[in-house]
Amino acid sequence: MKNKTMLIRAVTVLLVAALVSVVAACGGGSSGSSDSGSGKSVTVSSKKFTEQILLGEMYAQAFENAGYDVKRKLNLGSEQVMDKSLKDGTIDVYPEYTGTAFVAILKKDPKTAPDTEKETYDIVSKFYENRKDTPMKMLTPAPFDDNYGIVVRTSLAKKLGLKTLDDLADKSGQLVFSSYSEFQNRSDGYPNMQKNYPKLDFKEIKVVNDLGIRYKALAENKADVAIGFTTDGQLASPKLTVLKDTKAIWPFYYPAPVTTQKFLKKNPDAEKILNEVSASLDAKEMRKLNGEVDLEQKDPEDVAKQHLEDAGILD
Amino acid sequence: MDAFMEVLQRPDFTKNFFVHIELSLAAVLLAILLSLPLAIAVNRSDLGSTVAINTGNIGRAVPSLAILVLMLPIFGLSFTTALVALTLLAIPPILINAVVGLRQVSRQVLDAAKGMGLSGRQILTGIQIPIAAPIIFAGIRTSAVQVVASATLATFIGAGGLGDYIVEGYQRNSTPIALAGALSVALLAVVTELVFGRLESGFTPKGLKIAQQRRGK
Repeated sequence: MKNKTMLIRAVTVLLVAALVSVVAACGGGSSGSSDSGSGKSVTVSSKKFTEQILLGEMYAQAFENAGYDVKRKLNLGSEQVMDKSLKDGTIDVYPEYTGTAFVAILKKDPKTAPDTEKETYDIVSKFYENRKDTPMKMLTPAPFDDNYGIVVRTSLAKKLGLKTLDDLADKSGQLVFSSYSEFQNRSDGYPNMQKNYPKLDFKEIKVVNDLGIRYKALAENKADVAIGFTTDGQLASPKLTVLKDTKAIWPFYYPAPVTTQKFLKKNPDAEKILNEVSASLDAKEMRKLNGEVDLEQKDPEDVAKQHLEDAGILD
Repeated sequence: MDAFMEVLQRPDFTKNFFVHIELSLAAVLLAILLSLPLAIAVNRSDLGSTVAINTGNIGRAVPSLAILVLMLPIFGLSFTTALVALTLLAIPPILINAVVGLRQVSRQVLDAAKGMGLSGRQILTGIQIPIAAPIIFAGIRTSAVQVVASATLATFIGAGGLGDYIVEGYQRNSTPIALAGALSVALLAVVTELVFGRLESGFTPKGLKIAQQRRGK
């Protein structure tokens, strides 16, 4: 009997303790973003995949280095969620791709995307600046394109003389392509490829809905061609080659920080801080960093820090 | 709603639907063929039973996706790879229930049978298996439902199935497409549950049913 009473007491104490800590945590979390009185503060956010988290982490650390009080809301949601959060002030900055903004934020048909990266950026950045409800700004993009990448083994590319998607289309009858559901069914995906490279007709198409397994299948000779993304960590290996899309059938996806003009006005040095981070990157470096997180399971925070230190941004 | 119907009408939907059923059925059948003889083999050995039950439990802990990746170099991007992974997933519930079911038959009943002069084989087929049948079938039912739900994993290895639509819906941020896949899987799982439930009660010996009813009241 006594044991039972003690047990009930212990459980009650534990429950109360848990409740208190939950309340405390919520109270701490809900104090809002950048308007908290003295000192400079910023809420940095990103979408939920490795490259985004790395970019967000880099922005955050660069801000910390400049004396900002930084709140991280990394690993958030889709571009719609990010855009809405930026509007209502929950976040101050996040990395967005020029092509994604063009298609998903401006709601334009990807077929009407301009033929150069600069034009894409100009259209998107003008749109952001002239937004009526919340004027925003897309800063200078980092100099690399995170686009669809049609990947083959380098040995196979040499053997068949594959350099471009035209070459691939010519030889496609003897090749196995491993793709994923979304790419096969989206109008700007495989249908778009077939339309622009009409000779494209693979011997077999395998729908493999896991990026890591697609690369593994390629390495194990279980597929000849795979769809990935041009900044995937796996592509740092010389054994894989990305074929050139000579007709530029996809919009350009250059990543740039998007923020509100209100935030920039309040923090005049923010633009320089963010631009420095973007300028320190290129496709090769991004592949390396993505690979360190995805393939070597390193912590994105450490990987971002190492890069910023090497680039001389952190002191 | 339009996107939902569009998915159901795609030519590959029917194909994937049947691939899903085929894959699940084959995996459960293979698992039964592997587990039951094994359970009977270890029936009389305490050590054997302990090993079988614990191996089954360890099997449960291995993530199916890991099995898929391990099988890739051997079987490639194929139905077989998914089948092997799903069979391994299907074995533990069947094996554990069969071992436990056969061994929980009461000592007195077995002694009585022996006293009546039944051989070991007769005891197994005439007494142990019929008494254990409901438990064995419960294991098969659990396993079958689990396999139908997990066959969605085949999509990661290029073996098709209804997982294609769930993942596509996720990738394209489209609930209707994901629902078309998920609801079909749920429907299959419910049907499986019902069918195997019927089988379970069908294979329960009459005497046991009467005993169950008495105890129930």
